[in-house]
Amino acid sequence: MDLFRIVLLLICIYTFRHYFFTFNRLFGKQRHPYVDLESAAWPEITVLIAAHNEEAVVADIMKALIEADYPKEKMTIIPVNDRSTDRTREIIDAFAEQHPLIEPFHRVGGKPGKAAALKDAMTLVKTEVVLIFDADYIPGKALLRQLVAPFFDPEIGAVMGRVVPLNVGKKCLTRLLDLERSGGYQVDQQARMNLHLVPQYGGTVAGVRKSALQEIGGWNENALAEDTDLTYRLLIAGWKTAYENRAECYEEVPERWPVRVRQITRWAKGHNQAMASYIARTARCPGLGWFERIDGVLLLGVYLMGPVLLLGWLLAVVLFYTGAQIGGGLTVLALGAFTTLGNFAAFFEIAAAARLDGSRQRIRLLPLTLFGFTVSLISVSHAAWQQVRESTYGNLFGNHELVWDKTERSRTAPVLDDALSPTVPVLRESV
Amino acid sequence: MLPWAPLALTTVTAVLLALPITPALFELWKRSDASPLPTSRHDGRIGNFAEIFRTRLEPLRPQLERCRTERTVSRTSLAGMEILLVGTDNFDFDSEQTRGISTLMFGEATQILAGKVVDADVYADGSMVLGENAALRAAFGRDDIILGKNSTVLRWLHGDGNIYLRSRSAVYGRLSAGQSIRLERGCAFQHMHAPEILTVDSDDTRALPTSDTHLCQAQKDPEENAERGLTGDMFTTSRPRLRVEGDFALPAGETLDANIIATGELHIGRGARLLGSAKSYKDTVIDEDACVHGSIVCGGTVWLGPRTFATGPVMAENDVLMARGARVGSPDAPTTISSSGANIAAGCQLHGTVWARVRGNIEA
Repeated sequence: MDLFRIVLLLICIYTFRHYFFTFNRLFGKQRHPYVDLESAAWPEITVLIAAHNEEAVVADIMKALIEADYPKEKMTIIPVNDRSTDRTREIIDAFAEQHPLIEPFHRVGGKPGKAAALKDAMTLVKTEVVLIFDADYIPGKALLRQLVAPFFDPEIGAVMGRVVPLNVGKKCLTRLLDLERSGGYQVDQQARMNLHLVPQYGGTVAGVRKSALQEIGGWNENALAEDTDLTYRLLIAGWKTAYENRAECYEEVPERWPVRVRQITRWAKGHNQAMASYIARTARCPGLGWFERIDGVLLLGVYLMGPVLLLGWLLAVVLFYTGAQIGGGLTVLALGAFTTLGNFAAFFEIAAAARLDGSRQRIRLLPLTLFGFTVSLISVSHAAWQQVRESTYGNLFGNHELVWDKTERSRTAPVLDDALSPTVPVLRESV
Repeated sequence: MLPWAPLALTTVTAVLLALPITPALFELWKRSDASPLPTSRHDGRIGNFAEIFRTRLEPLRPQLERCRTERTVSRTSLAGMEILLVGTDNFDFDSEQTRGISTLMFGEATQILAGKVVDADVYADGSMVLGENAALRAAFGRDDIILGKNSTVLRWLHGDGNIYLRSRSAVYGRLSAGQSIRLERGCAFQHMHAPEILTVDSDDTRALPTSDTHLCQAQKDPEENAERGLTGDMFTTSRPRLRVEGDFALPAGETLDANIIATGELHIGRGARLLGSAKSYKDTVIDEDACVHGSIVCGGTVWLGPRTFATGPVMAENDVLMARGARVGSPDAPTTISSSGANIAAGCQLHGTVWARVRGNIEA
């Protein structure tokens, strides 16, 4: 019974959270404190490109970065080629020959995983500001300046930009993920920025202050989600993460459901691992305000809400048919209403995001996100169950054999032309 | 029971279930909104409007040159714009020729008479003078521009040379100059950029000292400045970070070498020097003659007292108030002031960009 009440309470809290963020985005005061920074003594920066078997895409990001509107003499690009077995090394070296600002780092051994590769690459970094991109991203001309601007704030340890799907029109899945991403960035992240809460560092289209990273002990090689891990270690150490909604960058989203399931399973496991590590410290952290602590804790728990919701449905049925005094049909109705509202709250967020983005027709797809939501619910529940089993067998939320878990690429060749066109690139296969 | 009742019930149920997803299926089929969301494609620079305008009109310059030589006025169209090429120096803005014109191109020095309202974008190949109480939609000048008292530019104004705004004139939107902008008392602006921006007393055409070093920089040995990271990139030195819960005050005359973060108000005392950046969750007050060799980030209002100096940038979520003699940035290191509102006294000196998202004023 008590468990059932806790489930109900959690659902209510997350429902309220979704609505609160959405209303803030629609009607609240918007904060973009660093967006107007046009003239400044721009610092020297290093751009790390994480690449593992990226022959199809790595040329595009290097072209885009070379063309970026940032003083070239203050910029070093380090493609971090982690044990690629395809033509990635050859492509990177060809670029480096033509452009002295590219200093390749070819990693041939060491621990697998993006965090381990970045950790090794950091030994080559001489600048205070480090920007990080995955190899399949295509930054726009002004993106680097937009990502660097928040570092003029001495409290900012990390910066996150907005990710915009590029291969939207290819499949039903990509269209649903486009809506989900909009909701996540346009509403969720920006609302947290508006409300001085905990915007999340996302690991790509992002930046980190080297001294802050050193202060917290560098990249955590054992983290399944190095981005969430970094967000919380910085937060606990008194550094803030800034979200730049107008620092937009194209990415590819999964085009096949099995790829999507693997992606969200990986995210859920990483997030849960971070939750186990940081939830207590975040809740007790003296340097954080109450709202920041609450948001930090709730953000850590988002991937647990899948299994919690399933548990709630199960408990409702079991308790109802076993005749337990749960308030009868009223409580079942309440659970149904809360879960429905909870779901609607997330969908409400997506609808608000589509409106803010000015894209009116794609909002028609909203009912189909119920299907994507169900797949995610099952995937994250399965991930949580796997972690519980692993913890039972002594593998307590960590020490896994890490691998490069990267999302399958749909690009088969570079899409930017030789003129390094700054225009919006379109996938050759897209409609 | 009627024999067709089950069929009818099934059909109605199916229709009711299908109804909410019909628009979704229609959109999946039609793909009317299936392209990637557009991301920002420009570099965000203030001069972009003017640059596009200049580039668009560039092909007409030989034609404008001909009009100037022949002292004629001719009408042409380019990419859907109706353009009037003016080669005379006494053009009548009320003439029939201006009807339906979206752009006026002047080959000579341009004089727009007092009280005139020009509902077109203006391109001036030479200098331009806007008379008192006159109004323009937007203008581009290849030389100096002077805006008369109480005159208004509604969208943007760019001059390759110097721009002078006489008292109570206003430029809404973007204001940029290749060399300098001077604003007299009572002027209003929103977004402006120039290597040098000076606020001056009314009718004061004397040049302010612009290239001399500020007091707190001049007093110090250049080598010591370099050692302390006062020159060049403020990120190259790793200063200690001082986080204070509540208010923080740096006493008058003191020097502190640290980045300060105060969760309350921040107060830099008279003549004090902060070698590092400052952030406050509430207001920031920089007392007279004090210096901040770094950025100022503020959750409230920033007050820069008389003769203060900040290398910048200065970012305030509310307003920035500047007293006489305050300086932000330097000619070799332009910077940005960004705030909701800005109120600047006469006698201030800025280098770079000033963004007042709601409204900026020069104190009357």
